[in-house]
Amino acid sequence: MKSVAILLAIVILNFLLIRLAPGDPASVIAGEAGAADAKYIAQLREQFGLDKPLTTQLALYVGGVVTFDLGWSYRNQRSVADMVGERLPATLLLTVTAFIVALAIGIGLGVLAATRVGTWADSLVTVAALGFYATPLFWVGLMAILLFSVNLGWLPAFGMQTPVAMPFGDRVVDVARHMVLPVLTLAVFFVAIYARLTRASMLEVQDMDFVRTARAKGLAPARILRAHTLRNAILPVITFAGIQAGQLVGGSIVVETVFAWPGIGRLAFEALLQRDYNLLLGVFFLTSVMVIAFNLVTDLVYSLVDPRIEVGS
Amino acid sequence: MREFWQRYRRNKGAVVGLAVLAFIVLIAAAAPLVYPASPWEMAGAPFQRPFGEFPLGTDMLGRNILSGIVHGARVSLMVGIVSTFFAVTLGLALGALAGYFGGVIDDALMRFTEFFQTIPSFVFAIVLVAIFRPSIASIVAAIAVVSWPPVARLVRGEFLSLRRREFVQAAVVVGETHLRIILGQILPNALSPVIVMASLMIASAILLESALSFLGLGDPNMMSWGYMIGASRSVIRQAWWMSTFPGVAILITVLALNLVGEGLSDAMNPRLARKGRA
Amino acid sequence: MTEPLLSVRDLTIDLPPGSDRPHAVENVSFDLHENEILCLVGESGSGKSLTAAAVMGLLPQPSVRPSGGELLFEGRDLLKLSEEEWRGLRGRRFGMIFQEPMTALNPVMRVSDQILEVLQAHGEAGGEDRVTELLQAVNLPDPERLRSAYPHHLSGGQRQRVMIAMALALRPTILIADEPTTALDVTTQAQILALIRQLQSERQMGVLFITHDFGVVAEIADRVAVMQHGRIVELGAKEQVLEAPTHDYTKRLIQAVPTLDPPERRPLDRALTVLSVKGLGKTYRTAGGLFRPRRVVTAAKNVTLSIRKGETLGLVGESGSGKTTVGRCVIRLIDSDAGRIDFHGVDLNAFRGRALRPYRKRVQMIFQDPYASLNPRHKVGDIIAAGPIAFGTAKPDAVKRAQELLSLVGLDPSVIDRYPHEFSGGQRQRIGIARALALQPELLIADEPVSALDVSVQAQVLDLLADIKRRLNLSMLFITHDLRVAAQVCDRVAVMYQGEIVEQGSTGELFRHPSHPYTRTLLDAIPGKHWRARRA
Repeated sequence: MKSVAILLAIVILNFLLIRLAPGDPASVIAGEAGAADAKYIAQLREQFGLDKPLTTQLALYVGGVVTFDLGWSYRNQRSVADMVGERLPATLLLTVTAFIVALAIGIGLGVLAATRVGTWADSLVTVAALGFYATPLFWVGLMAILLFSVNLGWLPAFGMQTPVAMPFGDRVVDVARHMVLPVLTLAVFFVAIYARLTRASMLEVQDMDFVRTARAKGLAPARILRAHTLRNAILPVITFAGIQAGQLVGGSIVVETVFAWPGIGRLAFEALLQRDYNLLLGVFFLTSVMVIAFNLVTDLVYSLVDPRIEVGS
Repeated sequence: MREFWQRYRRNKGAVVGLAVLAFIVLIAAAAPLVYPASPWEMAGAPFQRPFGEFPLGTDMLGRNILSGIVHGARVSLMVGIVSTFFAVTLGLALGALAGYFGGVIDDALMRFTEFFQTIPSFVFAIVLVAIFRPSIASIVAAIAVVSWPPVARLVRGEFLSLRRREFVQAAVVVGETHLRIILGQILPNALSPVIVMASLMIASAILLESALSFLGLGDPNMMSWGYMIGASRSVIRQAWWMSTFPGVAILITVLALNLVGEGLSDAMNPRLARKGRA
Repeated sequence: MTEPLLSVRDLTIDLPPGSDRPHAVENVSFDLHENEILCLVGESGSGKSLTAAAVMGLLPQPSVRPSGGELLFEGRDLLKLSEEEWRGLRGRRFGMIFQEPMTALNPVMRVSDQILEVLQAHGEAGGEDRVTELLQAVNLPDPERLRSAYPHHLSGGQRQRVMIAMALALRPTILIADEPTTALDVTTQAQILALIRQLQSERQMGVLFITHDFGVVAEIADRVAVMQHGRIVELGAKEQVLEAPTHDYTKRLIQAVPTLDPPERRPLDRALTVLSVKGLGKTYRTAGGLFRPRRVVTAAKNVTLSIRKGETLGLVGESGSGKTTVGRCVIRLIDSDAGRIDFHGVDLNAFRGRALRPYRKRVQMIFQDPYASLNPRHKVGDIIAAGPIAFGTAKPDAVKRAQELLSLVGLDPSVIDRYPHEFSGGQRQRIGIARALALQPELLIADEPVSALDVSVQAQVLDLLADIKRRLNLSMLFITHDLRVAAQVCDRVAVMYQGEIVEQGSTGELFRHPSHPYTRTLLDAIPGKHWRARRA
């Protein structure tokens, strides 16, 4: 329910932003047709409903969005929904993979550091996390290209697949090879965040009463770690991962731009270059929907892990 | 104050961070003295390797990369500090109102905050800067608009718990006004986590600005680190130094800010600090 | 006498460098025998809990570590055991229960699984059936249903029963109980104490019972060890320590425990009525929001009471009874939704916000937690002077008044420029009293003013309150869960249960002839009620 309300608010925001964008569609088309005369523009405005009151226009726009009509890209002469739709799978592949990789590595490193507090392993994880937390994603990507593609030649630097025909099995391997650098680039920042968070959370939970109870019961350290400390320490990490979903999607824009990954992030960059505001806002809308979806999934996961959250509330 | 510095000093990383940060601020302040010429001007032959005529080489238009980095420091720090100032002010105001008055006000403000927190912030910043045309003002505004929600949530949480504390109730009972209670009783106790958050926010604002400039959304009149990387990435195979050094500058600055943030956090919450380090 | 189960010899535990004393525990020696309950009693900071933790090998190492002595158990020195060997003993030979039942259980694991875990960890068979047996043994209702319950489904008392079931799962030889009833209500406390006593004698266990409460000692102990500043100052059979203490400290502590015999009080029937509350009601509704169901809790229902000039009315009850809600409604920290609050005949419920200000200075409050009730960033002088300044007194006058008040509450006026953290709990509570007096109120609402204090400090603060009340002829609403305190302080007592006042009357009458069944239950549950029942 809450998600629907937020979605509606985003649609309204999107509408307002379109209105604020420089040049209304009528003058854009008129300009492209080379006919800037006032009468033609007025006719176009009527055709697009731009002469109607704002609320009517909003209603029309909301009605459009509900039927997956995100407007028209005048530059590309295509529907925005079609354009973002065909790019979506590539972005989902990238972000979901990076998300899972980041969670797995980040939590793993956080646990490693927390269980060995004060040792060199802890210091290494802490320092590395601090460093990657401070590094811009696009620069990590460029340096990765420089190292692994240009100098070592191990992995492809651009695109999602080699543009030649090949059997399905080879194609899977080909895409996987193309994925390595973008996924790791996108993941590394979040690995840093999750590792720091997991470490801090583990250290906090370690001091809690119920861990002392577990020790008083004579449980083995591995059992205490798994069933008591980690089970509880992971909760704030899940919450935070949900909050961070927006950042992940935002990061994909930069990463897709660096690696020429054919997703909606790359599309956003192209829209920027072409000053195609309708397309840009289409991307904005879709990424917002992605974030809401991510949030719903993390909420669901959280309610599965924490019995205190009653289903349905 | 001396006690505070004593505690801060115990975190070695934070002391190094502070020194580095001071150095960067100094460079930024002295940029026009060190390199009086505009960083946009051609200084020598293009594509010169580093450690030759120019310490960090020149770019494809023959511009001095070190000069660009020195001048870029001004932009990065300015954008970081100003946008954080606005974001913190907004977040403080909304969070304080929501946490202090609770009820319907809290509900409304928190729905509003949640909404802004759901919108993917980087994409939103791109959209805002693109629509309002790239300029230093639109960049600062966009970063502020997307960064305030965590501050509001933090401040609300602090106010909410402090509001129930007995010393605040005692202030109500002795007849202090709402304004006095908010400013005199609660705010001073809620401020330390906000200061820590602010120092970390300057860091993320700098990262955000660099990403915007990288995508070509920087102020066209201001040399910035992100722009330098974005402009030279197509020649990365021939000239690695053009995109490497500005990136190092970002890394060092952001790292220094994060270290300072951690040091502040340790110094302000001595109890938590020991826990984290043991 | 038989061989002791556990023999503690010259145990010394170091504190980390920079603490206020080098040793938390110093040369402590005692024996724990089969089939006995040994109470380790002392005030906060006496080292009693660390002693218990050391016996379980659960000290927060490395910051706090044992540096000397022996813990002899079955011919072995426990201090020399490896972590591996300890693990075999914990849970199997030693069981432990803790103070906070709310946090001592893992919130995301079913309670039955948490019990099962003990059996599995020590390779015990029987599993599920044994869990059900154990739940029955600690008198938990409906063990079948409890299989799927998580800790948040249970009340504090039920959680403590689960803890006991867990600690006793493998029939340990020794049970260590660290303030196991301190966080519980008095009636629940009585049940848990009875349960521990029953299980102890059934299984002939040796129980090391840590407590700060002499009432609990009187209720449960066979032998008593009194600790002060990390040392045992007196050790002996319960009767001897409680009735004929030899050490000065023990004498002082016991003297500070209020008796259950209310003193005679002059009648106040003819004095002016200051406060008259009629039909007060307060219902909490969780906001719920658009899509969540609302929850409704009736905190106070049809509460009627009155206080005369110079009178102290005690409002007693367990947690959740609504006594704090009533206090906060009267002082208008929260709005009630039914009834009248007449203060000198004027209904305070008719005012809101600014209109209330004239009454703010005439009704003041003393809070429970001396650490939370003073703003850590304000100087003591500013804290006391804040009220008069808010009402327009010039700053120099307000500061002068603050100094006078400091001496009135027994503090040196020169401390005016210090911050709260430089004071002890008792001193802070004095500052809180000075703040309440600064506006020269007629009525004081005291919300559990001594329950966060050690017993010896508690006695001093109560004496101060009584003295000030008499000198200034104040009226007081005294909210407390502690019936011993109520017996000593109050002229009349009102008993609250589930939001309603079930009985009220003069203190002597109510303690001697309680008429409502709940009042009787409450009085019956007082730990050690037969001890110090009369004044010496």
